[in-house]
Amino acid sequence: MAGLTFSREAHGQFAAIARVRWQLFINSLRTLRGRFEMVSRIFIALAFGIVGLGGATGMAAASYFFVSQGKIELLAILLWIIFLSWQLFPVMATAFTENVDSSNLLRFPLSYPSFFLIRMVYGAFDPATAIGCLWLFAISLGIGIADPPLFLWATMVFLVFAIVNILLGRVIFSWIERWLAQRRTREILGVLFFLFIISFQFIGPLMGRYDKRGAPAIARFVAQILPIERLLPPGIAATAIAQSARQALVAMLGALSMLGAYALAFLALLNIRLRAQFLGENLSESTAQKRSITGKPCGRYAGWALPGLPGPFAAIFEKEIRYLLRSGPMLFTLVMPVVILLIFRFTPGNSGKGGGFLVHAPDLAFPMGAAYALLILTNLIYNNFGPDAVGVQFFFASPVRLREVLMAKNLAHSAVVSVEIVLVYLGVCFLYRPPAAGVTLATVAGILFALPVNLSIGNLLSISSPKKIDFGTMGRQKASGATQLAAFGSQAALFGIAAVVFLIARYFGEIWLATILFLILAAIAFFVYWLFLNRAEQMALDRREAMIAELSRA
Amino acid sequence: MAIVAISTEHLTRRFGQFVAVDDVNLQVAAGQFFGFLGPNGAGKSTTIKMLTGLLAPSAGRMQILGMDLTGNAIDVKRQIGVVPEGMALFGRLTGAEYLNFVGRMYGLDRDTVSKRSAELLEFMQLVDQPKTLITDYSHGMQKKLALAAAVIHGPKILFLDEPFEGVDAIASGTLKAMLQSMIARGATIFLTSHVLEIVERLCSHLAIIHRGRLVAQGSLDELRAGVAAQAAAALPPPAPGAEAPAGEKLTLEEIFLRIVGGARQADRELSWLG
Repeated sequence: MAGLTFSREAHGQFAAIARVRWQLFINSLRTLRGRFEMVSRIFIALAFGIVGLGGATGMAAASYFFVSQGKIELLAILLWIIFLSWQLFPVMATAFTENVDSSNLLRFPLSYPSFFLIRMVYGAFDPATAIGCLWLFAISLGIGIADPPLFLWATMVFLVFAIVNILLGRVIFSWIERWLAQRRTREILGVLFFLFIISFQFIGPLMGRYDKRGAPAIARFVAQILPIERLLPPGIAATAIAQSARQALVAMLGALSMLGAYALAFLALLNIRLRAQFLGENLSESTAQKRSITGKPCGRYAGWALPGLPGPFAAIFEKEIRYLLRSGPMLFTLVMPVVILLIFRFTPGNSGKGGGFLVHAPDLAFPMGAAYALLILTNLIYNNFGPDAVGVQFFFASPVRLREVLMAKNLAHSAVVSVEIVLVYLGVCFLYRPPAAGVTLATVAGILFALPVNLSIGNLLSISSPKKIDFGTMGRQKASGATQLAAFGSQAALFGIAAVVFLIARYFGEIWLATILFLILAAIAFFVYWLFLNRAEQMALDRREAMIAELSRA
Repeated sequence: MAIVAISTEHLTRRFGQFVAVDDVNLQVAAGQFFGFLGPNGAGKSTTIKMLTGLLAPSAGRMQILGMDLTGNAIDVKRQIGVVPEGMALFGRLTGAEYLNFVGRMYGLDRDTVSKRSAELLEFMQLVDQPKTLITDYSHGMQKKLALAAAVIHGPKILFLDEPFEGVDAIASGTLKAMLQSMIARGATIFLTSHVLEIVERLCSHLAIIHRGRLVAQGSLDELRAGVAAQAAAALPPPAPGAEAPAGEKLTLEEIFLRIVGGARQADRELSWLG
């Protein structure tokens, strides 16, 4: 990091970048869609604000309790919570994290220090950083109220701790970014990430399953890892404050120095990545691929034979399924309903008899699993032109009516839902017990009702609010904010209707009633779907220019 | 009069207050290799988008092979092939899968699609990448694939928006050979390009659009004669007994610059640029 001085024109460059960011924001508000996106962002910010303030209150109370009870080392628990959430949240929710493409900056005469600073500032106010800083400030307040002389020192320690977190977050993200830059490494990373998430989700159930027998072993394990924990940033920060309370000057300065050393180490690691980017490293897809020049012409490819389906239907069906099969993140999504059933199977129940609550109410497993399967697929159904990106132009130029394109896409997605429902059914049979015939039929009837409703809404949202998504990239599968809000409302309404149907059936003590009611609703839903399809075609033709522009964005 | 392949009457497209295409009346005879030229932002891509159904006109009529595009959009689209501005490829398919998809969308049976796809991939020299996804293709390969997809159903009219942009000399030669063989078989090609040398070499007829209005239309010789006539009209009449100046053999670039006024731009200079 030698020579970190800014060039003469740096101030002008920073001002220009700040100005262009502001202009981009203002320009985005010119369209109705942009304003709607802004409103959805405000709602999302409010949600994060509630989480942040709620957590801050808890952190302040807990830190006050620990300090006033003389158990300052226990602050490490709070700091670990902050540390993990600060580092994991941006990785798990990249949609909320600014991931700048620095290659755009390289054509300007930026010095490396300016480039470095800009990369640090971009996304500095993401939710993880904002909530992390808020919680650290809350802990400082709690400490200050319990022991006022400690307040200043604690604030200084937390400032360094915050810098460590910010730098580490950038290090993690810059390396992930490097992997995401190429398709193969992107998909490998995707698989590794999801395996990590799955294993993470199993920790809780496994701990619960063995807590009665394994408590002493866990206590021994915790005692063994405690010295290691004290060498990591949250432990060091807690130690620095505890030593200050004991007025051990050397120890407290030593701890703060260690924290500073972590910051420098992360800075050096970040410097490696950013320096490589600044020197113009090329991570394009084309340079990464190995050319498979065999000299042999490829065999004739005839496409899938799908009896009974007209050619265009079969072509779109095959294309949709191929896209799904080539997307690691989407494949994981499709597996999730069965994984969730597995997790619920081994989650400890409140009764203490072992097994999750679904073990005690296995008839709920199939409807819940099926509803979850449909819920996660709304991300696909509600933005069904998103993966096509610039290819959407072809649908408007081809001699196939848009309603047929939509129907073929809906057919492919319905087939995926059907496979999901069968998988869930088999999972329930294997993990719990075969659901009762009445429950099975009511669930299938419920899906027959919910599916066309979702397809109708999905078609309209796909046309009115499309968003380009990359099936090969993690964290870029999200629909637009407007679609997410609309989807949330429609799902709430659907679950409400389903709940009312089941309550009516329960009131009369007859599950078959739910099946009949769902089938009546399904007939209405299919009729509405048919009407919507014609409306959707005209709407797509009216909005073709906006759709092409939105989906062709770089 | 030859059969008219493409005809527009008072074709207009507005974006709010801005008129991108203004009252354009265009006639393209069947079998012509037609070049549609204009400076950046003149309305070329907007016109081609309207002619291929990617954009609705604000006013005016369009006829393709005698069929009204508004009322017979599907029938018209069966007869045309398009390489639009963004190429409209599906990045996560392989080349063979994409051609198969496109062919079936145009109603070809599986066997025909399979045979034509293999031929096209070989012709376009794309057979070496059987398992590579289109997203991993180079720009030139994507252009070749887009053109292959546009012709797989044997269209009578081919619309090409900047087909030679970003294409190397080898690929460019392949594309030109293919387009010329299509013309030889009676197809009509409507092409926009900024590479005027290629247009001059390939196209038999041209139209120039400037600020949304059609400012010239005809064969290259007709445009040359028109420009020469305008220049002659601007000159003082020759002295009695003096010999008339020989007709200039203007290149397409010179014709283009004189029509759209680019020559004046070229004369200007920036005071601060060294």
